[in-house]
Amino acid sequence: MASSVGGLAVRVQEEPQRAAPVALPAFADIVREHQGMVFSLAWHYLHDRALAEEMAQEVFLELYRHIGSIQSPEHLLFWLRKVASRKCIDQTRRRVFWPKFGLDEIPEPPAKLRQSDPLLSRALARLVASLPEKARMLVILRFQEDLDPSDIARVLDMPVGTVKSQLQRSLDVLRDKLARTVGEIAL
Amino acid sequence: MSNLEDDLRLALRREEPSLDFAERVLARLSEPPAVPTWRQRWAVLMRPPRLQWAAVAVVLSVLIPAGTVQYQKELRYRAEGERAKAQLLFAVRVAGSRLHQAQRKVLETSRPGTRL
Repeated sequence: MASSVGGLAVRVQEEPQRAAPVALPAFADIVREHQGMVFSLAWHYLHDRALAEEMAQEVFLELYRHIGSIQSPEHLLFWLRKVASRKCIDQTRRRVFWPKFGLDEIPEPPAKLRQSDPLLSRALARLVASLPEKARMLVILRFQEDLDPSDIARVLDMPVGTVKSQLQRSLDVLRDKLARTVGEIAL
Repeated sequence: MSNLEDDLRLALRREEPSLDFAERVLARLSEPPAVPTWRQRWAVLMRPPRLQWAAVAVVLSVLIPAGTVQYQKELRYRAEGERAKAQLLFAVRVAGSRLHQAQRKVLETSRPGTRL
């Protein structure tokens, strides 16, 4: 069976673990196309640039080994999100991950912040990185990848109801923490 | 939509990794697969959640033999107890019948007109 992934003819194999049916230059194109998405998932989740790059590389190495099982560009995107999410969560479980910052370290804003204020974005990104494992990934998939709760549920193998309730709870926590961090910001 | 959700979209927008990211992925693809040393294999076992499973296995491997030994000891004590109980009942029965005989003798000898 043949299908097209990233403009490449990819043969779907019975045993995807065997030699990948894609040439290295063509695979490099796939990497370049999706590296921003995979790296950003890891970066926003781990908040450690070196670790995020390492993690993103591992995702693409795993993709190379499984490229034969990818059936369409949509499947590729789904696969990358799923594997990147799983690897990030595993990583935090493997080495007990403590965020390298506390709420006290987040700088106080000098004045009322505007919507696109980089200080606010940094503070928010750090607050997201301090959420519990699954909740953190839910928020990242929702607001980085703009996925619906049903898509997030498929990526993380969770019930849709749980995704919705955890998202709501995470937003409440973030709103509360942000209010405490930046004081008078109008939410 | 709340401001917070807009702010989150801005804060979590996609970013690119380093410029040579794809080249480094390809370089790793061309590397020969590393054979893990025994130390690395052991280190893998020591990572959670594998570490947790290893700890559970160790605890079970101690608890199961200890429990089995304890259970056998319990069975042995119980059997010894049953044997002792049977012996005691037998002894009580023997003593009871002797006592009964002695009592009968006493009653016979204490009857009026009985010659000693």
